[in-house]
Amino acid sequence: MARDKIYLEEVFPSPFTQLWLIFRKTPVAMLGFSCFLFLIVLAIFGPFLAPYSPVEGQLDMILLPPAWHADGNVSYLLGTDELGRDMLSRLMYGTSLTFGLSFIVVIISLIIGVVIGSLSALTSGLKSSFLNHFLDVILSIPSLLLAIIIVAILGPGIDNTVWAVVLVLIPQFIHTTRYAVKEEFRKDYVLASRLDGASPFRVLYYSIFPNITDRIMGQATLAQSAAILDIATLGFLGLGAQIPLPEWGATLANGLDLFYIAPWTVYLPGLAILFAVVATNLVGEGIRHALKLRKEH
Amino acid sequence: MNNLKFISILLLCFLLSACNEEGKLSLSERSVIYCAEGSPETFNPQLVTSGTTIDATSNQLYNRLIAYQGDDNILSPAIAKSWHVTRDGKKVTFYLRKDITFHQTDYFAPTRTLNADDVIFSFERVLNFAHPYHLVSGGNYPFFQDVGLNDLIYDIEKINEYTVRFHLAQADNSFLANLATDFAVILSAEYAEQLTKLKAKSDIDTHPIGTGPFKLKEYRVGSLIRFYRHKQYWQEPAKIDQLVFDITPSNTGRLTKLLAKECDVVAYPIAHEKIVQHEDLSLEAVTALNVGYFGFNINKAPFDNKLVRQAISYAINKETLLDTVYQGKAEMANSLIPKTSWAYDNNITKQEFNPELAKSLLNFAGYSDGFTMDLWAMPIQRPYNPNAITMAKLIQSDLKKINIKVNIISFEWSTFLQRLKQGEHQAFLLGWSADHPDPDNFFTPILSCSAAQTGSNTTFWCDREYDDTIKKALHTNNIKQRKKYYAQAMAILAEEVPVIPIAHSKRYQARGENVLGDILAPFGGINFYNVSKKSLNIEKEEIKSNHRSKQNNSNTGVN
Amino acid sequence: MLIFTLRRLSLFFFTMLLLTLLSFSLNFLFPGETIINLTGAINATPSQLIEINEAYQTHRNIFWQYITYLKHIANGDLGLSMASQSSISTEIVTLLPATIELSLVALYIAMLVGIPLGFIAAIKHSKLTDNLILSISMLGYSIPVFWLGLLAILTFSISLGWFPSAGQISLLFEIKPVTGIQFIDILLSDSPYKWQAFSDATAHIILPACVIAVAPTTIFIRLARTSMIEVLDTSYIRAASAKGLTFQQIIFRHAIRNSLIKIIRHVGLQFANLITIAMVTEVIFSWPGIGRWLIESIYQRDYTAIESGLLVLSCFIFVVHILTDFIYAALNPLARGNKYGAR
Repeated sequence: MARDKIYLEEVFPSPFTQLWLIFRKTPVAMLGFSCFLFLIVLAIFGPFLAPYSPVEGQLDMILLPPAWHADGNVSYLLGTDELGRDMLSRLMYGTSLTFGLSFIVVIISLIIGVVIGSLSALTSGLKSSFLNHFLDVILSIPSLLLAIIIVAILGPGIDNTVWAVVLVLIPQFIHTTRYAVKEEFRKDYVLASRLDGASPFRVLYYSIFPNITDRIMGQATLAQSAAILDIATLGFLGLGAQIPLPEWGATLANGLDLFYIAPWTVYLPGLAILFAVVATNLVGEGIRHALKLRKEH
Repeated sequence: MNNLKFISILLLCFLLSACNEEGKLSLSERSVIYCAEGSPETFNPQLVTSGTTIDATSNQLYNRLIAYQGDDNILSPAIAKSWHVTRDGKKVTFYLRKDITFHQTDYFAPTRTLNADDVIFSFERVLNFAHPYHLVSGGNYPFFQDVGLNDLIYDIEKINEYTVRFHLAQADNSFLANLATDFAVILSAEYAEQLTKLKAKSDIDTHPIGTGPFKLKEYRVGSLIRFYRHKQYWQEPAKIDQLVFDITPSNTGRLTKLLAKECDVVAYPIAHEKIVQHEDLSLEAVTALNVGYFGFNINKAPFDNKLVRQAISYAINKETLLDTVYQGKAEMANSLIPKTSWAYDNNITKQEFNPELAKSLLNFAGYSDGFTMDLWAMPIQRPYNPNAITMAKLIQSDLKKINIKVNIISFEWSTFLQRLKQGEHQAFLLGWSADHPDPDNFFTPILSCSAAQTGSNTTFWCDREYDDTIKKALHTNNIKQRKKYYAQAMAILAEEVPVIPIAHSKRYQARGENVLGDILAPFGGINFYNVSKKSLNIEKEEIKSNHRSKQNNSNTGVN
Repeated sequence: MLIFTLRRLSLFFFTMLLLTLLSFSLNFLFPGETIINLTGAINATPSQLIEINEAYQTHRNIFWQYITYLKHIANGDLGLSMASQSSISTEIVTLLPATIELSLVALYIAMLVGIPLGFIAAIKHSKLTDNLILSISMLGYSIPVFWLGLLAILTFSISLGWFPSAGQISLLFEIKPVTGIQFIDILLSDSPYKWQAFSDATAHIILPACVIAVAPTTIFIRLARTSMIEVLDTSYIRAASAKGLTFQQIIFRHAIRNSLIKIIRHVGLQFANLITIAMVTEVIFSWPGIGRWLIESIYQRDYTAIESGLLVLSCFIFVVHILTDFIYAALNPLARGNKYGAR
């Protein structure tokens, strides 16, 4: 047991810690969070843990159904596809492609978006009005459509998909950050530190950022679920990951021809996508729920 | 409110439609929907060699002078009721039928029946460079150029209204067979005249007029082709009123439509096991003369090097390709022609699978570190290759073992063919289905020099010795001698490896049990002339179709 | 209202400028020759090329080129499709209505299902029903639409045989496209099988429209729920209940109308979302719409079609967006004030 406190001190947990304390009490959100962590671990270590190569198949083991099926084989737990590639290994590798990449994508666009957003919050006048208009236009076009447009320009491929999704997500972060920063700027505590003579950047860094992290996190989970769906959809349409990458959407598209004889090649990648998006959304819901509760207190 | 109105209209429609259910039944019983794998490039088979186009046009819209009939593929009369070949083989005379009418459509009304002018027009257009229609639609007639008909025929003479004589430069064994192929169709000279006046010459290939059992009603690019029965057909009119080609490039899409009863007949079905399980569906196959192959573009490095080509031929494991892609339902190809052809040479050895040898050949050629190549794979299923993308993936992993990195490239089918013709590729997966039983139909169109010029020989390989050999084979009547020449040609191919033959396969088709009549043929395109549906009442149908045709005439214009 | 209109109009011109500039610059970004990308004339003879260059003023500076480009667009000339060599504007005119038709039906379903469910959830706030509706809605917007489409085909077309799996209408019916919107075309046609065609077309649209509607439905549920909760919290509702109105009276007379207004504002945004989902769904259900066409153009690297398709589609989405803004402003005077008040 830790040492007893010598004297009573009122502890103010940071807004982020507060959020976590509330978040922790929601079992569904915690379930989603653990799934999310599991997916991150899988995205990093999946390629090392996968029992087989995702690209090269055992040609004598084609179209094996999953192990629980009568004709299944335990060494191929989730069955194989038309080239004898192990579905489990493909899905594990796919985790790093679909989920891992979307995570990286969100972080990149978050950093860019937050920087631009907070800088733009400090501007005013014509520049600000231009930006408003610009954001209005961009945000009115759905992210998937924008991603398709960008891939159409850059040409199909997984790397272009990543850039497209990054570009698509940035405006959302700019918008959220800009709005949050502007709102915080109006509050008294910011005024106080400004009266103390702090430069706008100092205010941003020390006073505002800690108070808007949670909102940006909330936006990040939204962005993450959109990114997963966008990458998978582009993969499915053949505009994203190309043959033979085991990206979930592309794996599903690959299974289409086998839909009626080997339905697991379609069901499993779809379930994987669903699982990842649900986990992300649960975390997001948890964060938003906690935010709301904190406000109410 | 608006919503309520909408709902009530909807409900009303449902009620009304319920009363009319009977009419729909008869409509679907008098029509056949065929799910095709791709769009035709044109409606004139003279201009193409693509099987998809042939399927949609030749037997449906047109007739030839002569045709193949029966299981033994005997030449039989069609537009020509009889023909005569002089003893030296240089003059061939055709006597035409007098009762053949052309299609009457929204855009053309024939005033006369078919006569010698139409036959001469159809061939002159192809063969005579100065003909006003020769350059319409590009001036490429790949089949005729490939088999050298423009050199062979030096004159076409009109003896009288219904007699035509072809003068040949020399006797040629495959001449009659070539005229009976799906490409040698007869167009209408009168229609061409009308189009010349309207200054819309290119319409002759997009708004076709022929003599076949069906006439074109409507074409929506990439979506559907609608045919109506040609009621004045010179034989018994077709049994169905309406034939619709539903263009569905996706394999799964076609199977789905078959299972959901949205298509009556489906081209190149996948998942045969699944179809066999259904009692109301049937799967049929016809042994087609064809070959699926892996080809090189000889003009692109490193495939200008014979050793590299040989190396790759040793590195590809054909056994697994047959097991996986063809699911064991095809025969391995050792050369261009299948074993069933009389010209097949039993001395040809089976291609050996030997990656070690392949590696040393590559070393010898100076590519010890390997290289990266593009492999073009067909986007759609063809009889000779049910799934080129999967095949490409397998070849990719085979070639990885000898340090060659393969990028798989695919385009939509007609773009794919077009780009291949322009020689943009390095290597490709393609195939050939024979148009007639003569073995020449394999050797000349795929690999001859003349075919390299027209672009149907997409390897662009041109070997004088090979060309001379197959030409000699055409000019001799002695079958033993011919066989010897073809054996020589195949030996050259085995040494030079412009293509790696992979398999000879069957052509598959699936249909609902209520569709009757033969559609598939061993050669060339499909034919819907004999198709009908169960529970068809002919008399009732006759009355209705007359009624309907009146209605249709008021709908002018074609899409 | 005037200032509001002016603001929207300025936004509209700004966007059009941006979109046309973007699509004009695409011609330079795509591989190949700019003028060919612009017109799609891949088979042009040298003399035709000179004509085309003249028509697009390529000898003048980039600004004039852009102006000529705008003139061509204004005349409805979007060039030729590289793949099919047919006029793109005609293709778009036949395809876009099919997409609009599908999206509208889907939007209709989404609103019809989503809004009442959202209201129910709000009324039963924090109870089991609420949680149930919320969980289902989360599942709904997490599910990848292409997967959902496949499952729907497998269940409803193949196993149950209730609905057809592909296309707009059975190909047996010959309907001449006039407006491009199938239902109207059927009503206009003189086919003897008009009413069967109509019911057949209805059967064809149900499955894809429902699949498209799933995601927007969940969003409408959330919107309706939040807006209803807010309304129920207001003082005029409390005043009404103080007056002694029954709960039902409060909901139907006051709460629903006021919360509906807030939802309408989002319909425009949802329509854009819907069109995107429709693009993917069109591929699965072989719906002859602009989404499938655009995706196929991308496969075929048909740059002229991609560029013009994107321009038309984004313009369309934006026009819808502005229109709903107007409707909202017309219905809700408060919105007009807010827009040009504090910013």
